[in-house]
Amino acid sequence: MIKVDKDKLKELANDLLFDMADQEYETLLKEFDELVAQMALLEKIDQVDEVEPLIYPFAVTNSTLREDEPTTPLTKEQVLLNAPDSYAGQIKLPKVVN
Amino acid sequence: MDYNTLTIKELHDLYVKGEVKPLEVVEQAIAKAKKDTSNALEATMYEAAIEMAKKLGKEPVEVDNLLWGIPYFIKDNFSTKGVETTASSNILKGYVPLYDAEVITRLNRSKAIPIGKTTLDELAMGGSGMSGHLGRTFNPYDPSHRHMIGGSSAGSASVVASGIVPFALGSDTGDSVRKPASYAGLVGLKPTWGRISRHGLFPFTPSFDAVGYFTRSVYDSAVLLSVLAGHDEKDFTSSTKEVEHYHDYIPSVKGVKIALIKGISDTIANSSLRTSYEKSIEELKKRGAIVEYVEIKQELLNALFSTYFVISCSESTSNNANLDGIKFGARKNGSTYTDVIKNTRTAGFSALIKRRFILGSYSLKQENQELLFRRAQKARRLIVDAINQVLVDYDFIYLPAAPDVAPLFDKKSDNLNIAHLVEDNHLVIANLAGLPSLTIPACLDKGLPIGVNLTGRPFSEKSLFAVAHVIEEINGLRNITVGGL
Repeated sequence: MIKVDKDKLKELANDLLFDMADQEYETLLKEFDELVAQMALLEKIDQVDEVEPLIYPFAVTNSTLREDEPTTPLTKEQVLLNAPDSYAGQIKLPKVVN
Repeated sequence: MDYNTLTIKELHDLYVKGEVKPLEVVEQAIAKAKKDTSNALEATMYEAAIEMAKKLGKEPVEVDNLLWGIPYFIKDNFSTKGVETTASSNILKGYVPLYDAEVITRLNRSKAIPIGKTTLDELAMGGSGMSGHLGRTFNPYDPSHRHMIGGSSAGSASVVASGIVPFALGSDTGDSVRKPASYAGLVGLKPTWGRISRHGLFPFTPSFDAVGYFTRSVYDSAVLLSVLAGHDEKDFTSSTKEVEHYHDYIPSVKGVKIALIKGISDTIANSSLRTSYEKSIEELKKRGAIVEYVEIKQELLNALFSTYFVISCSESTSNNANLDGIKFGARKNGSTYTDVIKNTRTAGFSALIKRRFILGSYSLKQENQELLFRRAQKARRLIVDAINQVLVDYDFIYLPAAPDVAPLFDKKSDNLNIAHLVEDNHLVIANLAGLPSLTIPACLDKGLPIGVNLTGRPFSEKSLFAVAHVIEEINGLRNITVGGL
């Protein structure tokens, strides 16, 4: 059964690499109550656990192999255009190893 | 003459007759966009649009190309080469795509003229038109700015309803084109899943996402699909199924079997809509359609939103993991690599988006996955099976697109709430099942529009347009714009 507290929510946010204001955790706690109510609606469906999950609406049978023809990829300069910080043709970040 | 209040077809006819040049039309669109007070624009492309219009003016009109010289707007979650694209999120501030989305490439090839980019609910995750980083987008039908236009394709709905352009691109994951179309008196299409390439559309929930768009006539909607549909090797979910000449449809409902789902049509809250809906049903019967009520188990209807919500939060959490400020986006500094990402995501996402990601991430955790994510996918199968069973016996499902006119901003929030389950969320059926689905204006109540919706079998768009055209004729609200009624 769904059981969360503020610490658990902080842990989840940390796993997702962001933080929230304290009041947002309170709002989220209330939303988890709603989630419980929502999930109860799914539980009420007859034979819900007897079927296979539906992952996509219907099967798409496409050839996934394109012609093996060379194309022009983006140049290094183009890729770096959107990088917030770059140096010597590479994306610059804080030191990983001191 | 106000050229941008014409339909695509009407404007094209004027071009062919030589009565107007693209430059005049584009300048008029830009002038109207500059005066607009709906807060519908993210970025403008005015200089490039004028250049393109001047260039087209020196060429002969392409008589068989209905999109030649037609101005349009683009929802800001489509990649546009050289034009900042933020999906109305601060985390993407400054991001300038290096390529065009496939739909933009196709529209460029047809010589349609993009005028700018429009607002949306942040990352397309919302249905109110109030969660984007520029704040609320207003419904131009309500000068007091109290009623919303809906979302997530809020800005695109607004500019077409205002008669700034004849069409605009949107995207539809739950009802993000079809619901605002209802609130803005527009025709809004979500095609069959895979009918239009999604290459260059920012993914939200790939198993639901579809490129969609707003027009002011069913015919224009068919014109656009004839150009936008088709396989694209850059999107492996795009269908190889043959593309039809959709706008060659013959309007008719003779012998067409139409289902009305009782548990949904019973939820109409607005008396004008009820009268209009019932009148259209009678008229469809008179014109030879077989229209009947069918039942879907209430437990399945009640589960529509929960199923949609759990799957969409889960898929979006994963799809937006690349928004970290490292390779692109509005980076915030930090002393370590992880701090950079954390500070960027903390500052870049709104609180609403973060809460959705947490709910999604929780649903995907190994210990919860069976109870939440997998169970929602199982419910999806049962819902889709039930709908497909209806579509074995009937060609189309005809329903209200919304229970009432656009809600007031003060009465609606994007916070998770179990109220209004079926009536406000039934359009997700078409996303769960990948079906083509079209909203058409039904009536106005105290000056605010409300729409009806028609949904068909996969890849049945041509006959969907044929039947929708008849409904459009019955309702008598073809090509309505604010101030043009």
